[in-house]
Amino acid sequence: MTYAVEAESLVKHYSSRKETVEAVRGVDLQVAEGEVFGFLGPNGAGKSTTVRMLTTLLSITSGTARVAGVDVSVEPDRARRKIGVALQEAGLDGRQTGRETLILQARLFDMPQASAVDRAQVLLELVDLVESGDRRVKGYSGGMKRRLDLATALVHQPEVLFLDEPTTGLDPASRLVVWDEVRRINEQGTTVFLTTQYLEEADALCNRLAIIDGGRIVLEGTPQQLKTDLRDRRGLDADPTLDEVFLDATGRTRERAAGDVQEVLA
Amino acid sequence: MSSAGQSLALTGRALREALRTPEALFPTLFIPLFFLIVNTGQASEILRGESFLKGQGYAAFQLPSSLLLAASFGSAALFLVEDIEGGYFDKLRATPASRTSLVLGRLGAEFVKSATITLVLILISLLLGIRIASGPIGWVLLLLLTAGWGVVYGGFMQLIALKTRSAAATNSGGLVFFPLLFLTPSFAPRDRLGDGMREAASLNPVTYIMEGLRSLVLDDLDWSAIGRGFAVIAIAGLVMIALNVRMIRNYD
Repeated sequence: MTYAVEAESLVKHYSSRKETVEAVRGVDLQVAEGEVFGFLGPNGAGKSTTVRMLTTLLSITSGTARVAGVDVSVEPDRARRKIGVALQEAGLDGRQTGRETLILQARLFDMPQASAVDRAQVLLELVDLVESGDRRVKGYSGGMKRRLDLATALVHQPEVLFLDEPTTGLDPASRLVVWDEVRRINEQGTTVFLTTQYLEEADALCNRLAIIDGGRIVLEGTPQQLKTDLRDRRGLDADPTLDEVFLDATGRTRERAAGDVQEVLA
Repeated sequence: MSSAGQSLALTGRALREALRTPEALFPTLFIPLFFLIVNTGQASEILRGESFLKGQGYAAFQLPSSLLLAASFGSAALFLVEDIEGGYFDKLRATPASRTSLVLGRLGAEFVKSATITLVLILISLLLGIRIASGPIGWVLLLLLTAGWGVVYGGFMQLIALKTRSAAATNSGGLVFFPLLFLTPSFAPRDRLGDGMREAASLNPVTYIMEGLRSLVLDDLDWSAIGRGFAVIAIAGLVMIALNVRMIRNYD
């Protein structure tokens, strides 16, 4: 079976004169074609590092990673043609207009000028930015920037779309718009690899998810499987929430004190 | 699209960026002009009639220093740091665009910007009584040689930007040019410098670019001086481009 994303013993070390930091310590992943796969983990767990390796933006210390059947270390340019990337911060040039941004992106994916112009128009319509398409990006709201960023990742109709915390910092309404976009993109056959810190987002969008902590995958399955497993293991009367699954998997506990929720290390 | 096409698309973007940030262009024009006028004002009477001025005023002798200074502001590298900090550089790296085009895109814009500023400075210098003795071909060569230096220096600044990913460090890197500019025959010809200074100037590649520019302003076409200037640009340019491409390929 060909997986949309496949990683074997993926390792990333950052070395300095003083120390070596093991950011990712042997991640194995298999994401089927057409899935929305959620990649969860606390801050510093290795989510973004893993995504950056899978998207050719970071070298791999050891192990292998294939995206759409292409080894990202061996054939990075071929891999780049098959993936779309929207990273944690909407990476946009504030001095360009939305339309210019999309046209340039299309040109860098080898589209002729006329096709690039047409594609930009289609994408502006898709993400509801037609009216502001000729305004400079620096004047866009956070939600508009995120939608434009998403559109740039779709310029070349990628087989696999990587979204690194796509809704961080967005208001609830903008978040729902991005969720709808992700669902629509997935319905058209694109595999979506999504990292998020919002567990309700993973619950709402993902067919399957993995939780990474300390650079290792600590849990993997469908959201319902993971809840059922925890329910059975703890003998609970009802399904736990995905928050509880996450806290259990990452060894964290939640204590309520004076109405506040405090998260502490176990 | 070929690597050349990708480079042109990125050059277009970098030029739009420059045009939409006119405040970054103002010092590039003003400061070299300021030095041209001040240096000329300080030394023109002392050096009036010197044979190395070839019948022109001291401003003509000083013009190449100002042209090189104007081409050495390296704003492209600061825009690159903005791209890195804002995440847009990663977006570009995630495309299949050749790594060479990522380098040449910005440097192409640097070439166009330097050539344009050089043209404006030369036009202003005509008002100060300077003649370009090498004629129309000389004008073109002046633009090419100065813009070529803009590319070399822009490449050097981009290297610092890629290595440090810091605007402050990149800005400080720009100061490296000042010793290079002063270790040249910027105020008098090489044969009129003291022994130590003459040796230092002879070892400094910028000297040959300056002498090439100066020959275009003061002499008819002196192909040996011009050729040395272009040779330095070609070698240094290729080295800078190769180092930049390598840096982006290994960028983590």
